[in-house]
Amino acid sequence: MSIFLAILTGLAMGLVFGFALEKSRVFEPGVIVGQMQMRNFTMLKIFLAAVVSGLVVLAALQGFGYVRLVPKATIYGADIVGGLILGAGIALAGACPGTVLAQIGAGYRDAWATLVGGLLGALVYSYLDPTLAPMVAGGPGRLTFDILFGLPFAVAALVFAAILVGLLVVLEAWRPWRSELGANFDGLRADRAAQQAYVAGRPAPAAGD
Amino acid sequence: MLRYRDPAWSPYVAGALIGLLQVPAFLLMQTALGASSSYVTVSASLAALADPAIAQIDYVARHLSGAKNWWQVALVIGIALGAAISARLGGVRRGAISPVWPRALGAGSPARRFAMAFAGGFIMLFGARIADGCTSGHGISGLAQLSVGSTIAVAAMFAGGIGVAALLRRV
Repeated sequence: MSIFLAILTGLAMGLVFGFALEKSRVFEPGVIVGQMQMRNFTMLKIFLAAVVSGLVVLAALQGFGYVRLVPKATIYGADIVGGLILGAGIALAGACPGTVLAQIGAGYRDAWATLVGGLLGALVYSYLDPTLAPMVAGGPGRLTFDILFGLPFAVAALVFAAILVGLLVVLEAWRPWRSELGANFDGLRADRAAQQAYVAGRPAPAAGD
Repeated sequence: MLRYRDPAWSPYVAGALIGLLQVPAFLLMQTALGASSSYVTVSASLAALADPAIAQIDYVARHLSGAKNWWQVALVIGIALGAAISARLGGVRRGAISPVWPRALGAGSPARRFAMAFAGGFIMLFGARIADGCTSGHGISGLAQLSVGSTIAVAAMFAGGIGVAALLRRV
């Protein structure tokens, strides 16, 4: 595919992606920090729902031979160390690398700082890759659970999808999604006092349960 | 019923819609959804203007050209556009900074939040590049392909996030 067509395809898919991220509220820093503090499970719901639909369509596409899967190589050190650092950054940024852009689109100004920081982080890594990558190397290559369990991908994917659907049903019964939206759809319980104190430059009262 | 003017959709519907984007990703681009490698493509392309030698690094060379790399750059730009349209239609009024930050940080000027956002972004992408993927590439796409490494990376992501979020005030 030509670069031009690839860019048009990316823009069209990104429009849908960004629209869904905004409607789902997962781009809200309040939702992401709330998830990492285990007080709001919206992020997990969206994340698992996206995995479930992905599993189902990939089971079909791969099962009928339309596509070849492209799982990333399993590199234990890189996955663990990189994942830990990435998670720490997500909590501080209140965003993921993709949702930063949704925050910018929705109008959060600090997301521009996150974006510039992210570009610089990626650039510094790029310069250090020849040194860093060997330090965290080592692993079995492309390892997937269907291979581990000796099942066809489509079967394993549909079984995993069914398990995740069950998990989501339990999650919804425990925490109905509407109850987690927050008064202003930002994943936060109404608490004017903290915000007013912030604007006035005073220490915020501790947020109660 | 889903209405474009609703400020929020069910997370299950919105999430499932995101997962369906794997269909065009695989059929048209022979790749899976991802976001974080676009940061390398953009930042290295800019850096190459000042330091052409950066293109000699294998890792950078793999990210500079090719349809898939620029597809992903367009994808993340599209995310900003799509979110802007949805936010406009949804009509939620939003300040310059989420109210979560005064709660999580206690006192502090907005300048402190901007510094934190910058540092958070840096750490986030540095980690994502070590792990070779983020919440999209390892999370949404890796788990949907039953990748063992992606499952480990996602578990580590949540562990790191929960650990750091515990240092913030409870929101």
